[in-house]
Amino acid sequence: MNVDYLKQKRILLVDDEEELLNMVLSILNEEGFCNIKTAKTVKEAINLTEKFKPEFAILDVMLPDGSGFSLLEKLKQKEDFPVLFLTARGEDEDKFKGFGLGADDYMVKPFLPKELVFRILAILRRSYKDESPLVKLHDSKIDFASAQVIKNGENISLTAKEYELLSVLYRNAGHIVTIDALCEAVWGDNPYGYENSLMAHIRRIREKIEKNPSKPVSLITIKGLGYKLVAEGKI
Amino acid sequence: MKSVTKLIRRFVGILLFSILFLLFVNLAFFSITVKSHAANSHPWTTAKEAAESLRKTKNGYVMPDKMAKEIKKDGAWAVFIENSTGKCVWNLPNLPNSVPLKYTISDIVNLTRGYIDGYPTFVGTNKNGLIILGYPKDSFWKHMWPSWDYNFIANLPRTVLIVAALNVFAIFIIYMIANTKLLKSIKPITDGIQALPNGEIVVLKERGLLSEISANINRISEVMQSKNYQLLKKETARANWIAGVSHDIRTPLSMIMGYAAQLNNSRYLPEEERKRAEIILKQSERIRNLINDLNLASKLEYNMQPINAKKVNIIPVVRQVAVDFINLDIEDKYPIKWITDESLNICMVNIDKDLIKRAVSNLIQNSINHNVEGCEIYILVRAEDNCHIIVSDNGIGADDMQIEKLNASPHYIVCDENTLEQRHGLGLLIVKQIITAHSGVMKIGHSKYGGFEVDIMFPMEIT
Repeated sequence: MNVDYLKQKRILLVDDEEELLNMVLSILNEEGFCNIKTAKTVKEAINLTEKFKPEFAILDVMLPDGSGFSLLEKLKQKEDFPVLFLTARGEDEDKFKGFGLGADDYMVKPFLPKELVFRILAILRRSYKDESPLVKLHDSKIDFASAQVIKNGENISLTAKEYELLSVLYRNAGHIVTIDALCEAVWGDNPYGYENSLMAHIRRIREKIEKNPSKPVSLITIKGLGYKLVAEGKI
Repeated sequence: MKSVTKLIRRFVGILLFSILFLLFVNLAFFSITVKSHAANSHPWTTAKEAAESLRKTKNGYVMPDKMAKEIKKDGAWAVFIENSTGKCVWNLPNLPNSVPLKYTISDIVNLTRGYIDGYPTFVGTNKNGLIILGYPKDSFWKHMWPSWDYNFIANLPRTVLIVAALNVFAIFIIYMIANTKLLKSIKPITDGIQALPNGEIVVLKERGLLSEISANINRISEVMQSKNYQLLKKETARANWIAGVSHDIRTPLSMIMGYAAQLNNSRYLPEEERKRAEIILKQSERIRNLINDLNLASKLEYNMQPINAKKVNIIPVVRQVAVDFINLDIEDKYPIKWITDESLNICMVNIDKDLIKRAVSNLIQNSINHNVEGCEIYILVRAEDNCHIIVSDNGIGADDMQIEKLNASPHYIVCDENTLEQRHGLGLLIVKQIITAHSGVMKIGHSKYGGFEVDIMFPMEIT
């Protein structure tokens, strides 16, 4: 799966602790993210935003001259880009506040580097889906920009629901997505009783993306739990 | 309070009943005594019999021996006075000298009613005259003026009844007054004592007979209030302290975990060094889990974690936890088997979703922690009368004694020399705390797959 275009995104990293900034920087650099700028205060972060025009930000909550929450409010007034909170404050109220202000994700320290990278990529994929190049599967390619599948040189259109299901699966590529999460993504808040419809949609998607839909290799069933999309060249 | 009222009523009741009972017993005793002394009428009978037995013969009057013996037995003397002369014509030989031998009519009247020279006298008559029996001095007391107002005697039964009724009424009034007074003075005290266990502030008026007790209850209430306040302050301080410490540990631990993970993946390090970095990473993760558990456990224990219970379908909740673990287990060392019946899609329960997620996560993590060599983990949701979530594994399990101990352990944090086992972590303790807070039940046992099994159960909501 080609995610290099996501790793080119301009990322703003805000934390008051230099050591931690350096560590996150080195983790992201090692994973191939190459366009990162860091700030240690709210003021620095605002100044940097104007010049650097970040496309994604990782914010700490407790900063020496204000809180990450107020920083997010100020940033959202000017630009709209996805934000992930990375903080030592693990209380539910803090999480709710963060999400309430429009954060895309909230991670509590201490964290595993792999999990951080995975979450960043998931947010970037969701936010910059339309720019994505073709997603390469075993027997076909998905073009999210035009909502099409290319199999054996033939273009096959995706319906709205198929597109939605594939988006959710792609965002979590390589990981299981539960039946409930898929139903909720497609049918909304009251997703009970759609299990059979979901199976029907999955079958139609398989007909479009798989060489042999009865022996799927890209869209795999995990019995009783959910489905997993296997993309080629996964990180 | 009710029991105190009852107690007092019973006490006063018993007191009054005792008084009535004693009165009755005394009356009965008195009547028995009087009845036994009614036999004292026997001198009159003896006198009558003596008069009848006296026979007139040629040689004068003669009394049969049997009669004379009976009179002598009582130590009495006897004289017979003839009607025609008023003179003594016969007597028993033991007649004292001071007894006169001639009687006028007025003498006769006096001796009939009273005494001769201090001897109580009793008389009997026959057609010829009058026999007088004189008993020893001080052997009888004689009622000299035995006459009563006629109306008094005629009304006696009614009078007795009225007096008895008045007495009973008086006793009842005394009972009422005593009861009311006692209750009135005791009521505030019992109310106060009843309010104490609820932690209410108790202020009683410190006056009257029981003022000392009221004062003591007031002191107890004050002491309890201040103790409760201190305890709350202490508990809050402790929970806040734990929250503070765990917060401060998070950032440094982030760096340890971050760099250890980097070293673990480093291409430039030899295999052995990378293994060491992996151990640092794994142990840091353990510290992280402990901090999270400790924080939650202390909050649950001090009721600082609100339970936001909502009616939710438990199946997606548990399924998401299972999937999260599968997604993180890259090596597939702990394969998770979802063995819930596929036709079971809805099982509504009233729970705090995040806390139950945490509980199920802890159970899965528990299987992972105790099976370093890896194991299969089975997750089953079952809806019968209640909703069951069963997490089991085919790992090393635990022996009967350990399982019994785990089932018996309390759901709060204890720390003494007997609980060293708990130092392995707070995972199960938190599950127990969460389940208890949801009025659920947690049962630990052997898994049919050969390892450990935990069955948690909640009441099901009707859909």
